[in-house]
Amino acid sequence: MSRPDPIISPAIITRVKEFGESDLLVTFFTRESGLQKGVAKGARRSLKRFVNCLDAFCLASLEYTPKKQRDLCFIHSGKLLEAHQGLRSEYGSFSRASFIVELAETLFPPGVSDPRVFDLLKDSLKALSDEGGNILIPITFEARAMAIGGYRINLEKCCICGRAYKGEGRAVFVREKGGISCLGCRQESALSPGMEPESIRALRQMQDNDLGQLKGLDLSGGCLKEIKNVLKLHREYRLEKRLKTAKFLD
Amino acid sequence: MGIYPPPLEKLIEQFSRLPGIGQKSAARIALYVLKSDRELAENLASALVEVKDQIRLCSVCFNLTDNDPCSICRDQSRANGVLCIVEGPGELLAIEESGVFKGRYHVLHGVLSPLEGIGPEDLKISELFQRIEPEGIKEIILATNPTAEGEATASFLAKSLAEKGLKITRIALGIPMGGDLKYMDSLTLQHALKSRIPLQS
Ligand SMILES: [Zn+2]
Ligand SMILES: [Zn+2]
Repeated sequence: MSRPDPIISPAIITRVKEFGESDLLVTFFTRESGLQKGVAKGARRSLKRFVNCLDAFCLASLEYTPKKQRDLCFIHSGKLLEAHQGLRSEYGSFSRASFIVELAETLFPPGVSDPRVFDLLKDSLKALSDEGGNILIPITFEARAMAIGGYRINLEKCCICGRAYKGEGRAVFVREKGGISCLGCRQESALSPGMEPESIRALRQMQDNDLGQLKGLDLSGGCLKEIKNVLKLHREYRLEKRLKTAKFLD
Repeated sequence: MGIYPPPLEKLIEQFSRLPGIGQKSAARIALYVLKSDRELAENLASALVEVKDQIRLCSVCFNLTDNDPCSICRDQSRANGVLCIVEGPGELLAIEESGVFKGRYHVLHGVLSPLEGIGPEDLKISELFQRIEPEGIKEIILATNPTAEGEATASFLAKSLAEKGLKITRIALGIPMGGDLKYMDSLTLQHALKSRIPLQS
């Protein structure tokens, strides 16, 4: 069997670990192949092949040979494209970036790739770096990434009686159905929180649009809180785990 | 189950638990120990136990020490109001070996890493704050590594320490000695230019 040819591709570095004496173990996303793990030989010593590009949340151009079956891929060289300096200089942004990266890794493990997620992750990291104070970014990322990953919340009709939701009046999020219901079908409670029409409209936009199309999305604090809470309940129910990074979000 | 007699298998298994040592290296080391003098085995065994019994963390700076407080924290000539913050004992040793720094240290024992579940309360950060007043600290040098996590940790500390009225400095980041500008990335060059210093005779 011949060795596959090396690929040169933009990659988002998600994790870097020291490996042996002078190597680095690197986890990264590419647009075409999703999440991958590779080893960069001699990366801790090389001042030429890997100049400061193998660091968490950097966008780099990596030259690598894809793995065979379960092996690690082999990273030959890299060049920094975007360091996302704003994530390093502001811990709040760094925590938010960590959250979206962990969510992306969880929803799209090796072998499950979607080019839309690469673009979303890339745009969201850049936005967090440029305007870290914007708390909408991790929320819109979560809504969209869950939808791309197959966990879109059905906001079109009542998930119990089937009646279409016309955008009027409060509705209730039903965790086990991954949808909303009318107030007649389910009462509001801590695990089935109610949502304002404005929240439902905004969440629908977040699920179906790229970050760039959401510019100008203006939400009241109350709606933001409703959406955040619904997304958290939805995520923990669907993924059946708590993300390590979630506790550092607030 | 193994191909070696059980006591040898046991030793190989213990060595293979060490970081960076695989099955093959573990077997090689174990066979080496076996064919060496009894003295080597005895010295190795007693050194292992001694290190566990005698080395602990300094209750002031959290460096490794066999004496609490450590020799640096006991040295009055180093109480100059300057505190150098490092990630771990290895970094402390590197700075200490350079011989340039004359103040005291504070070892964080890690960096902030939400992806690994490591937050501020998992590092020796509250202990750092408790030292500032009693020791009359005037300057804090943030000497965490220039990785994403190290930088984020330095940013966090700088922000948390901001109201204390201290001078807060960050070690210079930029072109390494022996480096070559042609191969530098844009972030490094940006740092190097930002932290340029005047040359005066
Ligand atoms: Zn209904
Ligand atoms: Zn000490």
